[in-house]
Amino acid sequence: MIRLSSADTTETEAATAAETPIVDERREALLAEFTARLGEGVLGSHIRAGDDLWIRVDRSVWRETAETAKAMGYVFFDYVSAIDWLPSPFGRDMDAQEDLIVSGTPAKEVGPMTHGYAGGETRFQIIARLYSLADGMGIHFKTDVPDDDLTAPTWTSVFAGSNWHEREVMEMFGISFAGHPNMINMYLPTDFQGHPMRKDFPLLARRVRPWPGIVDVEPMPGGAIDDEEGESE
Amino acid sequence: MTAVSDRDDISSLVAEATDNRVNIDFESEGMTLNMGPQHPATHGTLRIVAKLDGEQVISAEPICGYMHRGYEKIVEVRTYPQINALINRIDWLGSFANEVPFILAAEKLMGVEAPPRAQWIRTILFEMSRVANISLFLGDFGLQLGGMTAGFYAFRDREFVLNQIEAATGGRFHPNFDRIGGLKDDLPKGWISDSQVAMDKLLAFCDEMENLLVGNEIFQSRTRGIGVIPADVALSYGLSGANLRASGVDWDLRRDSCPPGLVYDQADWKVWTHPDGDAFARTWVRLQETREAAKIVKQLLTTIPAGPVMAKVPRIIKVPEGEAYVATENPLGEMGYYIVSKGDLVPFRVKIRSASFNNISVLPWVARGAYVPDLISILGSLYFILGDIDR
Amino acid sequence: MGLVESGKLPKPLAKLLNISRKYSIWAYQWGLACCAIEMGAAFASPRYDVMRLGVIPFPASPRQADLVVIAGTVTDKLAPAVVRLYEQMPDPKYVISMGSCANCGGPYWDSYSVTKGVDQLIPVDVYVPGCPPRPEALLEGIILLQERIAHEDMAERWKGDPIVIG
Ligand code: SF4
Repeated sequence: MIRLSSADTTETEAATAAETPIVDERREALLAEFTARLGEGVLGSHIRAGDDLWIRVDRSVWRETAETAKAMGYVFFDYVSAIDWLPSPFGRDMDAQEDLIVSGTPAKEVGPMTHGYAGGETRFQIIARLYSLADGMGIHFKTDVPDDDLTAPTWTSVFAGSNWHEREVMEMFGISFAGHPNMINMYLPTDFQGHPMRKDFPLLARRVRPWPGIVDVEPMPGGAIDDEEGESE
Repeated sequence: MTAVSDRDDISSLVAEATDNRVNIDFESEGMTLNMGPQHPATHGTLRIVAKLDGEQVISAEPICGYMHRGYEKIVEVRTYPQINALINRIDWLGSFANEVPFILAAEKLMGVEAPPRAQWIRTILFEMSRVANISLFLGDFGLQLGGMTAGFYAFRDREFVLNQIEAATGGRFHPNFDRIGGLKDDLPKGWISDSQVAMDKLLAFCDEMENLLVGNEIFQSRTRGIGVIPADVALSYGLSGANLRASGVDWDLRRDSCPPGLVYDQADWKVWTHPDGDAFARTWVRLQETREAAKIVKQLLTTIPAGPVMAKVPRIIKVPEGEAYVATENPLGEMGYYIVSKGDLVPFRVKIRSASFNNISVLPWVARGAYVPDLISILGSLYFILGDIDR
Repeated sequence: MGLVESGKLPKPLAKLLNISRKYSIWAYQWGLACCAIEMGAAFASPRYDVMRLGVIPFPASPRQADLVVIAGTVTDKLAPAVVRLYEQMPDPKYVISMGSCANCGGPYWDSYSVTKGVDQLIPVDVYVPGCPPRPEALLEGIILLQERIAHEDMAERWKGDPIVIG
């Protein structure tokens, strides 16, 4: 853990050092069991001791993952969603770039694509969470979806609640789910163009008028005017 | 409609109704009933397209998106304090409760912990917003079933809580009071005793509602045995909060996996469940929950520790790289934020797991085979806030 | 109402008509988002009690309403419904736009799905700012609207284009 507060630095460091070797046995055991059941399917994992577990599985075993988890008592369905790991060309700090480009300065370089916990290979990743009431623990599952084939097996036959979540992922990211009973837009009108949650989907309102919050502190009004006001009063 | 309390009977009835179409003699083309997008009894605009056979619903499909405001996208271009002001507006009846899981997730990534006094006040305000939220539900549900009076009572008594929230935070509705590392301010003078009085009033309101609404014969006959959701269905749809507890699942995030930063273990309270899983059970569980929340507040008010309300955090908040999910038991159910940070001023991705989205997704399942007037009971008792569905 | 439309209504009569219209506004509440709750507090709670201003907040349908309060976020998906609702109302009709969202998009000014201001769709008579505006603010908006109705030349209102305050 990184502590940003500068107070008690020595103490904090000592605490961090003491925390690190803690092994979360329950989650390790859980991970081992998953690896045993899914075999080759488990591609990566990450454990934050005492807190959370991430498991990345292959897309071909995505549905088996849900079945396995359900059989192991992970019966509470939390959510299914996706992450677009592409570094945003239109992020917050990129707003002012419009002005730069107009004035002839080259745009800021976009950094390389990096993935989060449990790794990843593709731009899009599906993420889902299941929870076990008996264990009091949740698991995050991730799976990679290659760009040229944006589909994944559906979970609807295992967890009925994933129906709406998968529709949402389809409309927001353009990832469709094979075997889903009703793959239509969830939120947006049917004639909406594009997939808004993709990183390369621009928020047009911002491009017309840059975010006012960029100027954290507005410059004070000119001193001369201040004086004049003071005199006239 | 007979008041069948046995869940199996009901589900077999439902299955029969859907499969064989009970009105087989009057087999018709069916009729499509469009409820909404404007409906006076719902918060916000949910549209339901129901296919009917006579009085019976063959299928009911909610159409969402009329209130889709694109939270998950626009938070990617806002800094953490700015997001805090924005996410108040997801579940607009219990605003403060929306901030807490987000702040806790950010705190987890930063490794910051709020001082005890801030934790106490957070929990108190959290429970107060639960009271404000659910008390309106009780009135509103009465309104939907034709009992106007309950609505007026709820609006009257809710003001007492809102006054307290306003006195502490400055906002009746959208407090934006929580900060990474603590709270914006300390409590004003005299707030604690005023809150005790307000909570007493709310406890009296609960008693009143119990007689006025839950004890009402018409109310009971319109809700008992209506919209039964068995526990396994509830789990696989991810129902949470009172909807899940009304199906007999004894699970409450406040008790079972309370994230660090809230002090529910310091109060003596109880999680209520109900075995029936029908509309009445959901209302009843919510009523008890309001009582418990008021009790939690009353207890915590007496034990607030002294000290600062803000930990030391940098002035410009940059959250270190990492991913974290924190969920809390909000008035509507489990609300969680999955934050992916790249060590920037803004989060890389925020997944908002809102309770109503899951809660209402069970509607097509539970409405099958119900009668049209029961659809209102079912919808009302599932209790959703549109901002929480559509985000 | 031939007299009114021809604009030949005697002044005292017009005044009387305006006063009676002013104190019998049937307000249709269109609660869309958070602001709806504050509107509910203003309209339905005993504490703020809008009926003392001569506003009746419970018409069953927009076809019976003189005033519609658009309270909350209007999204692009909802926009056709807003227009339809406005068209269903009988003339003379008034619109109060409540909250920053309905005024200009508010906190969602950069969102891809929110209409930035309901005045892009229908003419608005009174804007009530705030996020959310307190119930008192909405009441003040209603009083402003009543003042406006009191001084209105009805012939103009019924014949001409809707009046839009900038
Ligand atoms: S103006 Fe504010 S309070 Fe009103 S609907 Fe918009 S976000 Fe909600």
